[in-house]
Amino acid sequence: MLRSYLGIAAAKIIRKTLRLMGKGATTLPGKTAIKISPDVIRKSAEGKTIITVTGTNGKTTTSHMISEMLTSLGYEVINNISGANLASGIATTLICDGSKNKNAVYVLETDEAAFAKIAGSLKPTVSVVTNLFRDQLDRYGELTHTRDLIAGGIDKTDATLILNSNDSLVASLGKGRENRTVFFGLNKESMLKNSAYKKSSTVLEASSDAVYCPTCQVKYEYKSRSFSHLGDFCCPKCGFKSPDDRFSVVYDLKSSPSDEGYKFSIQDSLNSESNEVELKIPGSHNLYNTCAAVSAVTVLLEKLNSNSKDSFKSACEASCKVKAAFGRMEKIDIGGKKICILLVKNPAGLDRSLSFVTEASDASSVMFLLNSNIADGKDVSWIWDVDFESKANDLPSDIYVSGERFGDMLLRVTYAGRDIPSEFYGDMSNAMKLVEKALEKCEEGKCVYILPNYTSMLKLREMLVHRFNLKDFWE
Amino acid sequence: MSDFELNIGHFYPDLLNLYGDRGNVLSLYRRASLRGIKVNIKSISIDSELKPDELDLCFIGGGQDNEQNILKDDFVNNKGPLVKKMIEDGKVFLCICGGYQMLGKYYLEHDGSRLDCLGALDLYTEGADVRFINDTVYEYEGKTIIGFENHSGRTYLNPEGNCKPFMKVVKGHGNNGEDGMEGAVYKNTFCTYSHGSFLPKNPFITDMLIEKAMQNKYGSDFTLALLDSSVEELANREALKYLNV
Repeated sequence: MLRSYLGIAAAKIIRKTLRLMGKGATTLPGKTAIKISPDVIRKSAEGKTIITVTGTNGKTTTSHMISEMLTSLGYEVINNISGANLASGIATTLICDGSKNKNAVYVLETDEAAFAKIAGSLKPTVSVVTNLFRDQLDRYGELTHTRDLIAGGIDKTDATLILNSNDSLVASLGKGRENRTVFFGLNKESMLKNSAYKKSSTVLEASSDAVYCPTCQVKYEYKSRSFSHLGDFCCPKCGFKSPDDRFSVVYDLKSSPSDEGYKFSIQDSLNSESNEVELKIPGSHNLYNTCAAVSAVTVLLEKLNSNSKDSFKSACEASCKVKAAFGRMEKIDIGGKKICILLVKNPAGLDRSLSFVTEASDASSVMFLLNSNIADGKDVSWIWDVDFESKANDLPSDIYVSGERFGDMLLRVTYAGRDIPSEFYGDMSNAMKLVEKALEKCEEGKCVYILPNYTSMLKLREMLVHRFNLKDFWE
Repeated sequence: MSDFELNIGHFYPDLLNLYGDRGNVLSLYRRASLRGIKVNIKSISIDSELKPDELDLCFIGGGQDNEQNILKDDFVNNKGPLVKKMIEDGKVFLCICGGYQMLGKYYLEHDGSRLDCLGALDLYTEGADVRFINDTVYEYEGKTIIGFENHSGRTYLNPEGNCKPFMKVVKGHGNNGEDGMEGAVYKNTFCTYSHGSFLPKNPFITDMLIEKAMQNKYGSDFTLALLDSSVEELANREALKYLNV
């Protein structure tokens, strides 16, 4: 008991000191507190209303959406979006950003491995699992292992689970936990109808994850797919299939989710209710993220307000008020021209961002930045797992390449069939020059799309802030 | 219509597709196509029949343990005898990591259990608990070859056996971290732990594999036309610079 108070006090002092020095201090306070008292997360999470968001892709976007929605519904929201999603970052958020308000909601983006360790201490009310794609396998190991880690975490809580029904690995987390699971996904009839919109053909299919049933070792059959391994799957042997959703996205790809103002509906099959919503953060994958956020907020509102019938409607309305966060499709205006940064950390993310840029009607040029520091994964091979080939021809005519591993990315783009003149690429020291060149060639109202991975994004942010005087614009 | 054709057999692409192994097939495709060769890529997985006569060049990648377990039986027992014969007949193979280990005699797990493999090459692998995860640089016929290794298995070649090491380790661990050697070669079968992808930054090896496959098919005087490799060489050079080699 005394130790956790000591830990909490130490964390607060460290945060104050570091902030005075102008540092973000999102990790060290929590790290120190955990060292002093390993039980500090349990202690500081006690009595709080917590939503966790985990999964390999879309954590930050979904957490951001949930936070904005709850805020617009009048809740005080505390989250770790500008911080870190490991145990130390979460401890920091709970201790240093904690509110005295008993009704505050904590929205915590949680790394998959960290979730396994701390879920039991957090005791979240609602736990969202977005999806499971291959992600820096050199750091995280195999996908089924990641799934098992999450399962272990879940079993130490009594949280209501919000699970993606279209992802076989995530959906399997609902087995044996049916009475506390709520599924979301793209509506199955809708997905089937949209299969009519043909995708462009490719030389070689992208490397796929999780297309075999892990129990029966038989290939899943798909009635329809949205992208990658997400879809209406069924194991022909054991019959395990994409579960029925409570919340599902009814959509039509006649117009593009990459354009602003895309409209679709979310259906609540439990109450036979449907609401039209507008996609506030573009990109077809954000149909999933929006639906996950609406599901989480609806379920939370029902829990807090004893099954209030308006919960779903309120959540849908709130989803239309969400604004993009920096680095997540936010467009930065630079003298009438725009820069849009799409962080890409793994094959699924790059695949979705490439699709997005090929569909965006305002794309003037695209720029790739590749680093391979520890936080990125030392291995750059993942860029070859992506089906660049089918999208390369539809990318803007000007393609720029930079980053510490620009040679690898340049080769990747070249092998996808796009030749890049030498004045369009260079190492990280040339990145800003290349951005300026892209902006110079960009017409008024058009946009330069930049796709960096993690540490190259941090570096680029720094450069942009410095060059265009954009003071701390991501906070 | 092109006069020349190259049929690539891509083994278990739905299960063995780790660490950008797919890039190797893309490399073969690109550097053959650019020379006017018509390239067909055939996927060979659990349900498909293996027809050796219809394939000129085969690629087997690596997979996650879970995925590798799914295909092991099909590979060793169903397709195994045919694959062995193809290797003996001098068909061109490139095998990476798991694909490499499966051609050996056995895999001895860390817990002592033994998994029998194909036995086409006289080598075996032992599991260890420390994984080798790092960039790698090798030397092969005077060329500097770049890769990325990620394996816990330690592979040992029988010095009296049918295969020889493929490359010399300049940076990294190689087969077992002990003898300074990497991979194995037997006839036209080339094996390595190098992911990364292996072929894109090493066009010399891509061309060697294509040429051998074309010579098998069209006669030993078949030679590949010269091809610009400036982007590949730049990527190779930049990677060396990044690794301070």
